[in-house]
Amino acid sequence: MALLQVEDLSFRYPNGAQNALDHIDLQVERGEFMVLCGPSGCGKTTLLRLLKQELAPAGERSGQIFYEGAPQSRLHNAGAIGFVQQNPESQIVTDKVWHELAFGLENMGVPTEVIRRRVGEMASFFGIQGWFRQKTDTLSGGQKQLLNLAAVMVMQPNLLILDEPTVQLDPIAAADFISTLQKLNRELGLTILLAEHRLEEVLPIADRVLLMKNGSVQLCETPRKIGAALKANDPMLFALPCAVRLWRELGAADDCPLTVREGRDFLVRHDPKPAAAPPEAPYRHEEEATISLSNVWFRYEKELPDILRGSSLTVFRKEVFCILGGNGAGKTTLLHVIAGLDKAYRGKIKIGGKPLENYKGSALYRQNLAFLPQDPQTVFVKDTVRADLSEILEVMELPRFEREEKIKRIAEKLGITRLLDRHPYDLSGGEQQSCALAKVLLSEPKILLLDEPTKGLDAGAKRSLQKLLRELKTDGITVLLVTHDLEFAAETADRCGLFFDGEILSADPPQKFFAENSFYTTAANRIARGLWKNAVTCEQVLACCKASEML
Amino acid sequence: MDRRSGKLKAFGSYHPTVLMIYFLSILLIAAFLSNPVLQTEALLGGILFCATLQRRGDGLRDLGFYLPLFLMVAVTNPIFSHNGVTPLFFLNGNPVTLEAVFYGIALAVTVIGVLLWCKCYSRIMTEDKFLYLFGRAAPKLSLTLSMALRFIPVFLRQSRRVSRAQKAMGLYAGKSIPDRVKNRLRVMTAMISWSLEHAMETSASMKARGYGNKGRTNFSLFRFRASDGALLAVLLLLLAVSAVGAAVGVTAFSYYPKVSVIPLSPDALTVYAAFGILSLLPSIIEGKEAVVWRFYRSRI
Repeated sequence: MALLQVEDLSFRYPNGAQNALDHIDLQVERGEFMVLCGPSGCGKTTLLRLLKQELAPAGERSGQIFYEGAPQSRLHNAGAIGFVQQNPESQIVTDKVWHELAFGLENMGVPTEVIRRRVGEMASFFGIQGWFRQKTDTLSGGQKQLLNLAAVMVMQPNLLILDEPTVQLDPIAAADFISTLQKLNRELGLTILLAEHRLEEVLPIADRVLLMKNGSVQLCETPRKIGAALKANDPMLFALPCAVRLWRELGAADDCPLTVREGRDFLVRHDPKPAAAPPEAPYRHEEEATISLSNVWFRYEKELPDILRGSSLTVFRKEVFCILGGNGAGKTTLLHVIAGLDKAYRGKIKIGGKPLENYKGSALYRQNLAFLPQDPQTVFVKDTVRADLSEILEVMELPRFEREEKIKRIAEKLGITRLLDRHPYDLSGGEQQSCALAKVLLSEPKILLLDEPTKGLDAGAKRSLQKLLRELKTDGITVLLVTHDLEFAAETADRCGLFFDGEILSADPPQKFFAENSFYTTAANRIARGLWKNAVTCEQVLACCKASEML
Repeated sequence: MDRRSGKLKAFGSYHPTVLMIYFLSILLIAAFLSNPVLQTEALLGGILFCATLQRRGDGLRDLGFYLPLFLMVAVTNPIFSHNGVTPLFFLNGNPVTLEAVFYGIALAVTVIGVLLWCKCYSRIMTEDKFLYLFGRAAPKLSLTLSMALRFIPVFLRQSRRVSRAQKAMGLYAGKSIPDRVKNRLRVMTAMISWSLEHAMETSASMKARGYGNKGRTNFSLFRFRASDGALLAVLLLLLAVSAVGAAVGVTAFSYYPKVSVIPLSPDALTVYAAFGILSLLPSIIEGKEAVVWRFYRSRI
């Protein structure tokens, strides 16, 4: 008997034009690790919430959900199915870590002595002892999400459902979180249903992958078969790990590789020719420097340590510059200092050739520099996207009749026309990002600063962002972005810089930058390391494979 | 454990119920009894306990605050109160009496004593202890408080972020007053939508973990140990002796119209001893623990 069985489930939201879920059949076996993926808006969240009856959305529904062979409505123990949502911040209910851990057990009326033992056990398993008595507010994003997981696990669920839990986390915290899930599955035999778009890390540990599209199940296969099962031109192809993509594009007959190691073995097996290595692309730049920093120092308060320690940087016109670096290194602070939100206490900053301090009032932000913060929600203050966009034009003193036209043009450019009359908070992460970008672009900037623009985006949205940045570049805009996403940087940047210890250490074109790193580099580069120098993106490695006439 | 000093906060680690009873009895006795011996004992106990809780460098600053306050209270009373029968001298035609001077000093002792004890109270009875005691009486309210304490910092951080994001778009970023007011209003409206959104997700997380079931229990990290029982017994005994003694009047003392003689009967001496130990109790426990800690540390 399957732990969870879904039979012919259809669902439609009130006022929905079409079914959000369409005839879904699904079986989750006991002890299975199932990964649910698909482009955003394909119905993943709706399906997961229907499986957890306490969170089921209101709407029209048909079909059956069985849990341990009995209809779902007979399940009265809220702890039997654990649910972790996307946003680490808003799931935390109480102010202390220990209280958060105990919260679910308190609700179930468990006596104090039992709670004490179970909470202690969980805190030890998840390595929470060190911050057990802290306030929840002092935790990092990764710790918060781990706490949310532990607070669910303390209720001893049989099935754990997670709705894109790593979207808001940086890559290191995300990898930690996923390896904790793997540990739960392997060591406790816990059944896990995980919606996730970071397939690079989850495919190797998943038992089955369920791919959804437009509210129905497109396919449900083991990870090694998923590569072959996808149709050509399927946008999900770009979400697959590099090794799977190489294998698929080459049409090999052997087993599909999933990890970097298997990818390397796969290439070596098929006789790569060193001569196929791509030449290093030449680096050219415009003469005009639009952003220049020399020896900039910054700290938040007199007593606190320096965040920027003599940072220097020059970005030229029409350049896309990516700043990479570890978490909490101060990359965001660097953007804030360049955007004039924080003031450096020492050093020179020039924007468009003019010292930063010479911009008075809002002059810096008028047709000059725009900054998009990490959380796109912070950009919106009105009830509709249209009102938000129109506000910025009002401030720029554009006559009323021109505003409509301008909004129409930018909406078309970013593909958000159908979102204009929605509430910004009702949009998905990727949609919010596009609308926020539209808002800052309306101020007609020459320089665009982006903080983690790929956070929470699926593969399709990332590709649109990439395309947009290239277009902006041809429009003469300089883009400086901070990111954790090495793949995105390798494919998009003209130059990349590593931010470490308060300084930008190296600034090189991506091929050179990644080829000289051995840990901090793309998966494609790690696969091709030692075979082809300068092949850093999946496309470049693929081109090398084809040039070596593999298969 | 106080990480900064590396020393155990011995008294503070007792059960909140015991601590609360202790502070209430000390504060009540110190505030309402007018016997110079008892008043002085309360002040000394307060000073000593405060000193053990003190971080380095706080002492001088405190002295700068309490000493002038002491003098002010002590001097103000004889200037404005002309009760008493023994005039010392005349000020603007009004007598300054010996009784009023004594009473002023006694009042100052009481005020400073109570203030010091309040200071110790706020150091020891931290928010979580208070919430725990409160939670026993009103569990729903205490959960609400805990949620509020969680929400406030998140709210403040988000509104700061929104405000900066708006500034970086050059929207009403000027320094003029209309711009500032407009900006505040815009951020506030955004924050209302944000709060609703946040609350929806939080309530989903609560429902998913079974909130709303009948028979909710209230968990806390505090346990009532044998040592808590022992301290409570000692404390109640000392309290009973002091309170009964004071109630039957063995320590009766008055400043007006003439300063009376300090009662020194065996009964009165017993009350002085009991209250003396009571007010020194925290300092004794801290002192003992410091010695024990030094001994253990020597073996690390």
